[in-house]
Amino acid sequence: MGLLDKLSAWLGGGRAELTVLVLGLDNSGKSTMLNALRPPELRAQHVMPTVSHQQDRFQSGGVSFSAWDVSGAPRHRALWERHYRAAHAVIFVVDAADHLRLVVAREELELMLAHPDMFGRRAPLLVFANKSDAPHALAPMLVAAALGLEKISDRPWHVCASSALSGAGLADGVAWLAAQLRDAHVPKRN
Amino acid sequence: MVTITRWLDVEVGTGDVGLNTLPANLALLDLQNDNEFKLVVGDLGRGDEGPKLKVFKGAMQTADMLLPDLPLAIAGFYANEVVPRSTPLIAVAFSSCVYIYRNMKPFFKYYLPSIELSTLEMDVWNQLADPNNHSTEALTIISETLKTIPDKILSMQSRNFLSLTPDEQLEYLEQKSETPTWKPPEIVCLTTLKLSSVERYSASCLVVGTEDGDVIVLDPQTLTQLSQAKLSSVKKTPYQMVATGLYNVDYRITVATREKSVCILKRDWTEGRLLFSTQDHIIAIEVVTSDNSIMVICTDNTMSCYTRKGKKMWCVTLEHRPVAMTTVPVMHLGVTLIGVALASGHVHLYEGKARVDTIFVRDVVSVMKFGRLGQEEHVLIIVSGSGNLMLKILKRTADFNSHSAGVEMSPSVAAGQKPWLIPKKSKLFLEQSMRERENALSMHETFQFELNKLRLLTAKTLLDAHAKSENSVGAGAMELLRLTAEVEGLGPVFRITLMVENTSSDKAVIGLAILFHVHTANYKVTKPYIKIPLLSPGGKLKFPTKIEEVFEDNINPDVFFRPVTGEGGERSLVKILLLKEERRTPVLAAIVQMPPTDPLMLPFDKLQAAGGFQEGTEWDVGGK
Ligand SMILES: Nc1nc2c(ncn2[C@@H]2O[C@H](COP(=O)(O)OP(=O)(O)O)[C@@H](O)[C@H]2O)c(=O)[nH]1
Repeated sequence: MGLLDKLSAWLGGGRAELTVLVLGLDNSGKSTMLNALRPPELRAQHVMPTVSHQQDRFQSGGVSFSAWDVSGAPRHRALWERHYRAAHAVIFVVDAADHLRLVVAREELELMLAHPDMFGRRAPLLVFANKSDAPHALAPMLVAAALGLEKISDRPWHVCASSALSGAGLADGVAWLAAQLRDAHVPKRN
Repeated sequence: MVTITRWLDVEVGTGDVGLNTLPANLALLDLQNDNEFKLVVGDLGRGDEGPKLKVFKGAMQTADMLLPDLPLAIAGFYANEVVPRSTPLIAVAFSSCVYIYRNMKPFFKYYLPSIELSTLEMDVWNQLADPNNHSTEALTIISETLKTIPDKILSMQSRNFLSLTPDEQLEYLEQKSETPTWKPPEIVCLTTLKLSSVERYSASCLVVGTEDGDVIVLDPQTLTQLSQAKLSSVKKTPYQMVATGLYNVDYRITVATREKSVCILKRDWTEGRLLFSTQDHIIAIEVVTSDNSIMVICTDNTMSCYTRKGKKMWCVTLEHRPVAMTTVPVMHLGVTLIGVALASGHVHLYEGKARVDTIFVRDVVSVMKFGRLGQEEHVLIIVSGSGNLMLKILKRTADFNSHSAGVEMSPSVAAGQKPWLIPKKSKLFLEQSMRERENALSMHETFQFELNKLRLLTAKTLLDAHAKSENSVGAGAMELLRLTAEVEGLGPVFRITLMVENTSSDKAVIGLAILFHVHTANYKVTKPYIKIPLLSPGGKLKFPTKIEEVFEDNINPDVFFRPVTGEGGERSLVKILLLKEERRTPVLAAIVQMPPTDPLMLPFDKLQAAGGFQEGTEWDVGGK
């Protein structure tokens, strides 16, 4: 059973149609992570990195995931920004071992949260401090500090360490996301 | 006007980096071949600490290695283009040799060729060493011999000696103990020049500039000398070099010298040329690759731009003393900015001569470089005077148009400075050009063969047309006759006006006639044969003729659509022949494509007779 099936089970049997945006800088591990989330039969043997601005997406149990590189020139930004409106949740993947680009990730995260289609919405934000297995990877708390997550007050957020390669930490994050989404979108039974 | 900063500051660890380096001692390299670019610094060391080669991943130092001597310059390059890619080599220049490191281990040493003194010059020095010759008269005679040696091969030592007064010469000889036999070569600068492809990971030659004014190009693979050239006919000492282009195709090495001038060296030149001289000493030089324009900052607090031909384009006066300069190519904006660091702690960015951004760095910059670091394409690396490393990443949303910066830019500057986005030479292109070079002969032969075939075909067609009299211009004695036709009317009756013109100035023609050649099933011509009276020189006659389109009883409804499709087909062709008595072939022929008859003018009765066509419904032709 793939992680996602669990997610849809948590959400109550796939009755809700939910869209989750997976964003992050190039090379942060989004494709690898989506692959790990996929049901085993859909998994690819070799993950190709998300070629700039191209999206990687799949759907399972009523939840559709789509991944985007948040990078590039201003004229390309509309490519992923147009999906903000429809997103029920955002997973932001950060390469915790790439200290240099933490500032870039922070800038992108801030731009995303300030976007008119995102601002003020309660869409939960899950941050994966990915590549936690890599040497010099920062602990999730340090990543949270580097990204300035403590300033986010308009939505629930959560940061957790992950290794997309081994799958460690993913279940944790997805469980949190499922809980958030269930509270927000699934009508309480009885 | 307050502008939001375009740069993201990278948090640099609290540890003191303590770098002490030179502009030429910085390189950005994909050291581990993992697309993660590292900063490699040739550090001169401080105090007890010896010179080292240091490697930074982002702002974090990950490796260092002791160097045998003070590094003068470092450069990273690829020796070949094997697949998969090998790791890059690092060249470090010391006083008279270049060490090549592979995987941070010394792997090759290149020594500059030592320069032997000419026998004549050595002879002179042997005489000078003799104490018997240490008198003013003897010295003058010996000096004369020294002066006969051409300037170019004369050693620095001899040249200096000649410039002294006789008294100084004596003093010099007294102090000197041994006679020189060779000049020690000294490296002053080092750069790289791509061999045959501009791609990031393609092989590069090393280019070494020496104290004696030589520029030596080394083969990337064998590290042997590929070419050597003097910088200039008069002695010039290189100071900074920028190589652009490709060694195998065409290249330019632009060299700033210590003698307040910039020289240029091109492919196949044995000697460089002076490009321009500056008012004051040059602090740094950069070449904008898109148009080879040259930027220099000088000690008189100016930044100037020269064309590749050495013509001064403009010059701006800077507020403070400039200390460092770097090109800032921003690919996605298609601009190359110039960053200039000033002694005041500011870094100014210029697009052309317009200032588009200012960064305050709080510390005096000692070395500055812009390029790819880690995964990030646009990183400004600054080593401050106190040895700190500062990294600034250009925001991806940043743009430098004059409006957002609040700096007025004259339109001419904007237009003139915008570099063209010339696509890179692709592998495909290079392979093609290689094939073209290798198979030039057979390609030329094939081309000539095809060309001749084409010519033959043209000649045959012409002959054919002539034989069939389809030509509309006469030949031979009839060359001066012109036949043109004009069609008027909506149909089915048209008027064709034929014009026969005699363009000759002295000859008249007689015995001409016009014959219409039509298919009687399609067209009816009222007068298919017209006799033309004498046509005087320069005369012109018009013959209006009626021609009517003939419709069969069963009209195909397709005729309605002829004006739309524009197709009359074969049947609408009318051939008009100009005949001359006693000639078996026509003189001229004109083929007229008749316009289709307007649908509204079609003979209505014949249409209705077309039984298969929509029986029962009124076909309302004129109603619309
Ligand atoms: N060590 C380590 N490497 C990872 C991890 N996740 C991804 N990578 C590697 O990071 C690179 C980029 O991953 P990819 O999923 O293509 O990134 P994307 O561009 O965000 O889609 C690949 O070489 C992955 O093998 C991880 O958790 N740990």
